[in-house]
Amino acid sequence: MSPSTQPTVLPQSLPPQPVPDADTQGFWAATASGTLAMCHCTDPTCGLWMMPPLDACRKCAAPTRFDEVSGAGTIYTFIIQRQAAVSGYLDNLPYVVGIIELDEQRGLRLPGRILDIAPEDVVCDMRVQATLESLPGGDYVVPVFRKQ
Amino acid sequence: MKQVLQDAAVVGIGRTNYMRKSGRTPTSLAAEACRAALADAGLSPADVDGFTCFDTGSSSATASAVAHAIGVDDLGWCLNVYGGGNIVTTTVMGAVTAVTSGQAEVVVAYRVLASDTRYGKNLGVVEVPGENQFAGPHGYLVPPQWFAMFAQRHQHEYGSTGEDLGAIAIQERLHASRNPHAVGKDPITLDDYLNSRWIAEPFRLFDCCYEVDGAVAIVITTSQRAKDLPHPPVYVLGAADSNRDGGSVVQYSDMTTMFSAGTAPKLWERTGLQARDIDVACMYDCFTFTVMATFEDFGFCEKGEVGDYFRAGRATFGGDVVVNPHGGLLSEGYIHGMNHHYEAVLQLRNEAGHRQVANAQTALVTSGAGPFGGALVYGTAATL
Repeated sequence: MSPSTQPTVLPQSLPPQPVPDADTQGFWAATASGTLAMCHCTDPTCGLWMMPPLDACRKCAAPTRFDEVSGAGTIYTFIIQRQAAVSGYLDNLPYVVGIIELDEQRGLRLPGRILDIAPEDVVCDMRVQATLESLPGGDYVVPVFRKQ
Repeated sequence: MKQVLQDAAVVGIGRTNYMRKSGRTPTSLAAEACRAALADAGLSPADVDGFTCFDTGSSSATASAVAHAIGVDDLGWCLNVYGGGNIVTTTVMGAVTAVTSGQAEVVVAYRVLASDTRYGKNLGVVEVPGENQFAGPHGYLVPPQWFAMFAQRHQHEYGSTGEDLGAIAIQERLHASRNPHAVGKDPITLDDYLNSRWIAEPFRLFDCCYEVDGAVAIVITTSQRAKDLPHPPVYVLGAADSNRDGGSVVQYSDMTTMFSAGTAPKLWERTGLQARDIDVACMYDCFTFTVMATFEDFGFCEKGEVGDYFRAGRATFGGDVVVNPHGGLLSEGYIHGMNHHYEAVLQLRNEAGHRQVANAQTALVTSGAGPFGGALVYGTAATL
């Protein structure tokens, strides 16, 4: 075996990378262009927001599209990850992951890291605001959340 | 439905030893458990015409391969079910249905786990498709994280505590201390629990099940044939499943509950039973909080009362119901809930030795956590 000339990057130093599909690529295209957008039914009388995304509304079967959301929401629940369990952020233990309920619709949730707050100060129902941040790995932009 | 179910019975149970690293393949482990279950039933592989198992896509030990490995050349009914703890009830009921509908006469149902499958960590993952593409990039991907989220919300809404979760872990470990087959036999104290390391806060080490290598199999045949076999038959009195919110652990609407909020009313309606009628409760316990939420949902106590219930001795011998007399997935070992079926049958046969629940006639066996799962009630002939 000859020594590699490439710098070695351990897979576990990067977080898992998303694999967009036909139903989700609009989400990732939006974040890449600086917008947080969620899957939204185009029927004005229905108007359901959906997560995970799908090309047709699960209630009324109308076409969906990705519409910008405010990024404001509340922490439904959260964990403090104190030991390595998933690749990525291992130099940053502990880290806080929340499940954020967005203001647009009750039950419309996004998972995301909660930044710039001591883990012990995070509480359920805390108001947060999303911003977009490059995902380590370079190809994707993800929402992260901070206390409002 | 009740009448039809009673045309089938569980007549055999088998298992391997459980251990951290067996060095054995899934097929080898599964074959041993299946042979043991057939021997226990007084049957041989030549009698078998049906096989079923479940896995999450990582096991090479398919039902047809394991049947072949014990000498079955031409297997009839064969069902590989995709799923984890959520699908155990469905798998067992598939076997029951195969027998009651005449598609097979003797069916083996098993679950095997070997060292190539561990769920607690995933440090090698590089790409995440499907719904996980939204969670994985945040370092949020594995079951202890999912259900710690649930526990956190329950603590917020109902004031449950780490001490309450600890009461479950302590009780199950004490039960396991009477079980020679358990991997976690040393009793723990509340201090041990509170001082165990954080996994994903609010979960500590002792909130998490004990992942092992091993296999469990059960044999189901017609009630007619069961009469001539060595052990008293164990019957299914009813079963129910609930798959909520698309099976999503992020979108699941009320994380202070689990699938059991949907399963329990169906199960009690179908069986005509209630929590107070249950002698043994084999509660699926991938984590302590799974017991807490499902125990509330099945109506054993009110929301937020589980800690007090366990501390008062109501979940153990001499109490209201014995919860996981074998020590559960937390302390006997994690065979994905199939070991709960083994224990329930053993108890209803009155063969559980030092941990026998006195006059056990009914056993609730739940399977699954979070958005989806099922449950059934086993009963002795006296309950029919």
